[in-house]
Amino acid sequence: MADGGSVDGKGIGARVLRKEDARHLAGKGKFTSDFKRPGQKEMAFVRASVAHAHIKSIVKPAGYEHAIFTSEDLPGLKPMRALSKLPGYKLSDYPALAAGKVRFAGEPVAVCVADSRADAEDIAQMVEVEYDILPAVTDMLAAKKPDAPLVHDEWEDNIVFETFSDDDFQKIADEATVVIRREYRMNRQAMNPMEGKAVFAEWDDRQDQLMMWTSTQVPHLIRNGLAEFLDLEQRQVRVIAPDVGGGFGCKALLQPEELVAGYLTRKLECPIRWIEDRREHLVTGANCREHHYQITLHATPDGRMLGLDCDVTVDAGAYSVYPFTNGLEGAMAHGNLPGPYNFKAYKCRTQTTVTNKPGLMPYRGVARPGVCFAMEMTIDALAREIGMEAHEIRMKNMVPESAMPFMSIAKKHFDSGNYAKSVEMAVDMIGLEKVRASQGVPTDDGRIIGVGMGSYVEQTAHGTSVFSSWGVAMVPGYEQATVRLTPDGGLELRIGVQSHGQGMETSMAQMACEVLGIDPDNVMVTHGDTGLTPYSTGTYASRSMVMAGGATARACRVLAERMEIIGAHLMQCERTEVSIAGGKVVSGKGEVSFAEIGRVWYLNPDELPEDVDQGGVEVTMGYRPEPDSGAFTYASHACKISLDVETGKVKVLDYVIVEDCGTIVNPMIVEGQTFGGATQGIGTALLEESLYDEMGNPGASTFADYMMPSATDAPMYRVDHMESPSPFTEYGIKGMGEGGTIPTPAAIGNAINDALKQIGAEVMETPFTPRRVRAAIEAARDRKEGEAA
Amino acid sequence: MKPAKFEHQRMASLDEAVKALGNAEGETRVLGGGQSLGPMMNLRLAQPDVVLDLSKVEGLDGIEETGNAIRVGARVSHARIEDGEVPGKTGDYMQFVATGISYRSVRNRGTIGGSVAHADPSADWPSALLALGGSVTAAGGNGIRTISLDGFTVGPFSTGLGWDEILTGFELPVLGTDANWGYYKVNRKPGEFADAIGAVTLGVEARAVCGATESAPFRVTEIEERLASGVQEVSIAEVRDILDRYDAGFDDYELQIHAVALSRAVQGAFA
Amino acid sequence: MTELSININGEHIKADVEPRLSLADFIRDRQRLTGTHLGCEHGVCGACTVLMNGEPVRSCITFAAVADGSEITTIEGFDQDEPMAQLRQAFHENHALQCGYCTPGMLVAARDIVTRLPDADEDRVRLELAGNLCRCTGYVGIVKAILSVLEQRRI
Repeated sequence: MADGGSVDGKGIGARVLRKEDARHLAGKGKFTSDFKRPGQKEMAFVRASVAHAHIKSIVKPAGYEHAIFTSEDLPGLKPMRALSKLPGYKLSDYPALAAGKVRFAGEPVAVCVADSRADAEDIAQMVEVEYDILPAVTDMLAAKKPDAPLVHDEWEDNIVFETFSDDDFQKIADEATVVIRREYRMNRQAMNPMEGKAVFAEWDDRQDQLMMWTSTQVPHLIRNGLAEFLDLEQRQVRVIAPDVGGGFGCKALLQPEELVAGYLTRKLECPIRWIEDRREHLVTGANCREHHYQITLHATPDGRMLGLDCDVTVDAGAYSVYPFTNGLEGAMAHGNLPGPYNFKAYKCRTQTTVTNKPGLMPYRGVARPGVCFAMEMTIDALAREIGMEAHEIRMKNMVPESAMPFMSIAKKHFDSGNYAKSVEMAVDMIGLEKVRASQGVPTDDGRIIGVGMGSYVEQTAHGTSVFSSWGVAMVPGYEQATVRLTPDGGLELRIGVQSHGQGMETSMAQMACEVLGIDPDNVMVTHGDTGLTPYSTGTYASRSMVMAGGATARACRVLAERMEIIGAHLMQCERTEVSIAGGKVVSGKGEVSFAEIGRVWYLNPDELPEDVDQGGVEVTMGYRPEPDSGAFTYASHACKISLDVETGKVKVLDYVIVEDCGTIVNPMIVEGQTFGGATQGIGTALLEESLYDEMGNPGASTFADYMMPSATDAPMYRVDHMESPSPFTEYGIKGMGEGGTIPTPAAIGNAINDALKQIGAEVMETPFTPRRVRAAIEAARDRKEGEAA
Repeated sequence: MKPAKFEHQRMASLDEAVKALGNAEGETRVLGGGQSLGPMMNLRLAQPDVVLDLSKVEGLDGIEETGNAIRVGARVSHARIEDGEVPGKTGDYMQFVATGISYRSVRNRGTIGGSVAHADPSADWPSALLALGGSVTAAGGNGIRTISLDGFTVGPFSTGLGWDEILTGFELPVLGTDANWGYYKVNRKPGEFADAIGAVTLGVEARAVCGATESAPFRVTEIEERLASGVQEVSIAEVRDILDRYDAGFDDYELQIHAVALSRAVQGAFA
Repeated sequence: MTELSININGEHIKADVEPRLSLADFIRDRQRLTGTHLGCEHGVCGACTVLMNGEPVRSCITFAAVADGSEITTIEGFDQDEPMAQLRQAFHENHALQCGYCTPGMLVAARDIVTRLPDADEDRVRLELAGNLCRCTGYVGIVKAILSVLEQRRI
């Protein structure tokens, strides 16, 4: 192994400040919406004003026919089709522009093109669409009923697919004398990166190629989709992601607007720009979550969990999104519901239904915030029932460190970690005993205090076998990285994943530093360009640091070997006498800088040794963890909240996180991801909701209706780390981009229910709005009065 | 999300603005700071044909105390009130209200006159000023007119201004140095529009307002009578009972938070 | 079209603009100063915050025509500004940005806080920041950065 240690402590584990910051702080970041070219046109979409209808007619205003396009005007544009191999899965086509029927309010019906967005919107406003309105189905439970309107006429029902695993509950019946039954709902929300989706398309006649700059997490997958649905050869498509202003999942998908932009730039022979506005984002672009749980936990009176029986319903909206389908949530819910716990019997049915709402998209945490919410809330309900502290139940039932690696009841191959320790540490940090003591004393302002926690284990960097089991057609394989020494001794690193805020220009450079000892400042990371980088399925599912980081390490090691051969020759010593350290090839006889190696390879090859590797100082290597069953990150979150009984308003007072993502590459970035994720979790828990009425009309189309967490909603998180390296990945790194979002709704929900315990009330549906909290309090009082009477 | 086309007319004087408003064809909107109209136009919820821009009109941004009244110009920004430019106890009350409106970068542009003329039911000033009392001044084709703040807000986005009138300012009472006031807003987050407002002042008379309703804010006379008689506390349950007698269209939760707001406003007045 | 005379980052500009053009779009598309970002276009998210006559305003809900005669400072116009230099360094050191999209508006709002409210504590900083949304950081680094600059400026 050629690892050279790190320069000035800038390799793995170092709190290196980010290389990305300077341009953003100066206002010089380059986002897709910043692109402007002479002659460019902008698009605005005519969107369905009703949720379910046949289109009777689309009337273009006189004089503007040339600027308006419906599906009939775009021959050859294929609908998006996301394939799945899940048994019984029903395929659905998602047309870029509605053809004949609209299935959710906001669906693109026609596109208008003009010199400015304002002009394009003027035209869109004049287009008259006449609809034959059909009854809409907007609730996932109602969608399952036999008389429900069909979202897709060619289906016999509204169920996309089901999973079912049975178990024998007789084996636990004698012991399981405590049975907890609950019904939970995690409502629909929207992802809301601060930069919405944006696309800039241009046809390059010289290369005979569609150039598309787009705000995406997955440039190579966008290329796949554009080629397939625009009927182009792959070589005719180049996708570039410039700076991407957040993604969180919605930018891991191909959007109809990207397809239309790609089509029109060629047809109209001009650059085409589309910038999603916030209303479009909220109403059509990024709906997510929306699960329902009917859950039964069987346990002993001393808090041993024995069996779990659950019916999960997922509201997938109208269309399946490309490429990850609308099957991901259901498939993942099934496998992740048991969390870090070990018990004897597990029975689970998931049903994924279609409704007349936008297609459900995979949002940070995918399915796991929902399952963790249901599981962890149920554990606390058990704790209240048997009069035990919930953390004791958690610790008692978690898979112990001594059992690792461990095949869980849901067939997850846990790799390493001390789950119970994270609980113990979180309880200690939040100061549970103190909080308990303070709960007896009413506060001056009539608020009550609650404390709650949530724990999870998260499969990250899922490999080929895992994705294959979810049935999606787009399965990641070997991740690749290309490294190239420059003539002056710098390093170019090219990877196919795409940073959208994670700081990969820094963390990947740290990885190169770890192997080569090169200063991260001398490493240029290039990503987000299908023309320059190796193929990758991109950045999602907490995979990039493990996968692209691992590939980077491997490529750097091969480069190191090749440089050692050149360096040994230049120092007139044996290959075995040299090594890489501090960005140089060193031996007992002296040292050769990378710049010297670069000079010789590029400019003075006459000085190269006979046995030089003819591949030179440019290396591409692939990597996949073995086994590729995933690296399992875990964490326990605990929080203290206050609740205003009269208004139902909840405030997070304190929030602690104990997390273990294996070997930490950059603690600053890990913490940043965790705090950001947890704050999105606070949004899920307390604020964010994409409401739809019975007709399927969206009720939250602006930030005045859709509440985003502000600085006043987030606490000053306190965090502690554990480090249990994965035995299966390079350096023991585990993925961690999503984790922060997962247990937050559960931790806050449990804290609320802890506070409400004295009233006998319980909340079971996110977000825990003041209205819902008040309703729970009123219901408990009515119940008590009923009992008294 | 771009506004529809409109004609922008930059007004040099109030006279010009009044004339322009009187002569305008099509839907005409008067633009103060634009912090309410701007978003509505971007969303195309408002599509006026003509926008009369008052930003260069002089004489609308004064604050002066004249004996027993304080005059506040229509174009005085929330930020100036937040920064304490309105004098005395009245100023303390208004400073508290202003500080809770939206965000500083909106308060720098948004104006008190614009807010009251716009009459969004969940905005602060229509409720806060009703609880203070006093009057609105308006200029129209028939000259200057004074309109009592009592009843000025008629309903959602609807006021007592005539179609050809422009709100020019307010004449507000001077609260005595020992006057009590309380203001309580229930909302989801700081800066967000109110879900419920309770506002109380005890100047020459006791005034208590229930605001952020479906329609116009209204005075709650039962509570005013109690305050006038020296009562310093009204429980949430009592306010609930009182408000329940008004035909405000509240559901149970709305009734509750409006009762909380008013009860806590009273509490705040005597804290 | 409306005539517009405006000063942006010290440069006097005369232009004819459509009345409906926002100050933000004028800055971004006409002046090509793309550091000012659009996040919601209805005045809630704060990404478009710029200084107008020294005070932070939302450029997305301010028409360019209405900004006639004013002095505008965008994120590109603070190179000689001491509090901004302090904030930039503090944002960098405290990991106060991830994707960078909210950052320019956040910095302009932060500059207003550190200059207008020298005694602000954490609660006040959070309250003043409530009008600037960040989806990435959870505000931890941002609040710490602003508090550190407040501290520096008190010495």
